[in-house]
Amino acid sequence: MNILERIDSLGRRVPEKVAHVSGPSTLTYGTLLYRSNALAAQIAGMLPDDGSPVVVLGHKECEMLVAFLSVIKSGHPYAPVDAFLPPQRVARIRDTSGSQLTLTPEYVSRLPDIQAAPPRRQAKPSDPYYIMFTSGSTGDPKGVVITFGCLEDFLVWMLAEQRMAEGQEVFLNQAPFSFDLSIMDLYLSLLTGGTLFSVTSQDIANPRQLYQKLAAAQLTIWVSTPSFARLCLAERRFNAEMLPRLRLFLFCGETLPPEVAAVLLDRFPAAEVWNTYGPTEATVAMTSVRIDRQMIEHYPSLPIGFPKPRTLALVMDEAGWPVAPGERGEIVIAGPNVSPGYLGRPDLTARSFFKLDGQQAYRTGDWGRYRDGLLFFEGRKDSQIKLHGYRIEIGDIEANLRALPGVRDATVVPEGKDGSYDSLTAYLIMADRPSGSDFEVSCTIREQLAERLPAYMLPRKFCFRQSFPMTTNGKVDRRSLVDST
Amino acid sequence: MGATGTSTADRTLNILAGIARTEEVRRNLDLDLFKFHLLDSLGMVQLMVALSEEFGIEVSPSEIGREDWATPRKIIAYMESRAGV
Repeated sequence: MNILERIDSLGRRVPEKVAHVSGPSTLTYGTLLYRSNALAAQIAGMLPDDGSPVVVLGHKECEMLVAFLSVIKSGHPYAPVDAFLPPQRVARIRDTSGSQLTLTPEYVSRLPDIQAAPPRRQAKPSDPYYIMFTSGSTGDPKGVVITFGCLEDFLVWMLAEQRMAEGQEVFLNQAPFSFDLSIMDLYLSLLTGGTLFSVTSQDIANPRQLYQKLAAAQLTIWVSTPSFARLCLAERRFNAEMLPRLRLFLFCGETLPPEVAAVLLDRFPAAEVWNTYGPTEATVAMTSVRIDRQMIEHYPSLPIGFPKPRTLALVMDEAGWPVAPGERGEIVIAGPNVSPGYLGRPDLTARSFFKLDGQQAYRTGDWGRYRDGLLFFEGRKDSQIKLHGYRIEIGDIEANLRALPGVRDATVVPEGKDGSYDSLTAYLIMADRPSGSDFEVSCTIREQLAERLPAYMLPRKFCFRQSFPMTTNGKVDRRSLVDST
Repeated sequence: MGATGTSTADRTLNILAGIARTEEVRRNLDLDLFKFHLLDSLGMVQLMVALSEEFGIEVSPSEIGREDWATPRKIIAYMESRAGV
């Protein structure tokens, strides 16, 4: 499959068809084709043909799609970065990626209205397509490299498994483009001549507006985190009457709670609910399963499904041997969808990636277990968490807290129940505590932290301590720290 | 009036303090809950669900704008208007 050719051909065959709706703006396949060609020609003239990444910095604007495709056409991979990230974090990503160019929606919209042929070049399967930056445990974001080969393998599987009607589908885009869940809705929509309907952060902040827009969107395929579906379900009118064309829910990014799946099946009797799983390092998702009532009754926590064709999902012990069926171990993924590694970080790459019978393989750090042939996710080996679908390294927040003036030490604990988290608490030892109430000092620290980290990584609560309790092997005893509150 | 004799304001604040995870919401009724990251979109929905259960009335996300619920005082006023104090 040639991704770009397929999208471009829609621009020629159905130029008036709407490819993207975001806020008041729409983008047609025709405009996407000729604007991305023009911008690709411009980029190719500006940058050496060195395959260096181009940062695309924005939110859900229609210009983002033009930017993504033009970067690819110019022979470079793109690194999508959300405009809500603090400038410091964006600068770190730019440095790490070695990017020489940053595209923004403003830049794209100022592009002169010209026709231009894109540079002619044939991409190899091993060429990077996008770089997805994710939280790193030492406080620096790390860039997961996804190649043409990885992305095509993922998309070929999804298109074969989910029958999509050419030119008929309207996809929900909930995840920011900097979160690889969005790759699922964006490319499935573009490859099938569908319409991508974005909900913006402004919509999400304003429930009233959100439901009005969802009701008007004529959605057929819902792609979101389970957290977002849970949020929508709080409204009783969120049902098949509000979204009459909706026929498929695709979930990824975090554990799907059985009660969310059950309520969705009640409210949308004609729709299918699918759970999928996969780390960013294995291109969005690589297991899937349709969730029905029987399954909800049978399993207290839902399976993440069966591995896709061409990909192995093994459950391994510490020594790297497959465990006996039904035993718990680390999920290891091997196949053409596995990333070559982290951009510019051979050290981190060597720690998590290896070759398994000639296939690229990745140690996920996820605990898993097979039961009845289905894979189940059973938490993390390390302190990586999912908060509302966002992947966060606890160490990333702690390192950035310790870097603040006056903070001597920091421990961050996720709060929630049943393994699902809803907020973060930071415990701090201050070298010198500013005057003011605990709440005032908390606000100051949160503001300082917000200059370094995205909003979804900011702790809601701050507690101040003189010291941290230690375990016998000299680590912070997180449990007694929480109990002392 | 609830059976325990506590007011709508107290019951609302009890729930809000649990979700925002700070007692500051009692001390400062004009605290901007979103600005100080004490509520986000999911927290707001959590709060609606919890208040619906506490008061036995439907608090519907589609009827409430973010600005209507930006401070403890505004949330109390809304609940008082709905619960009939």
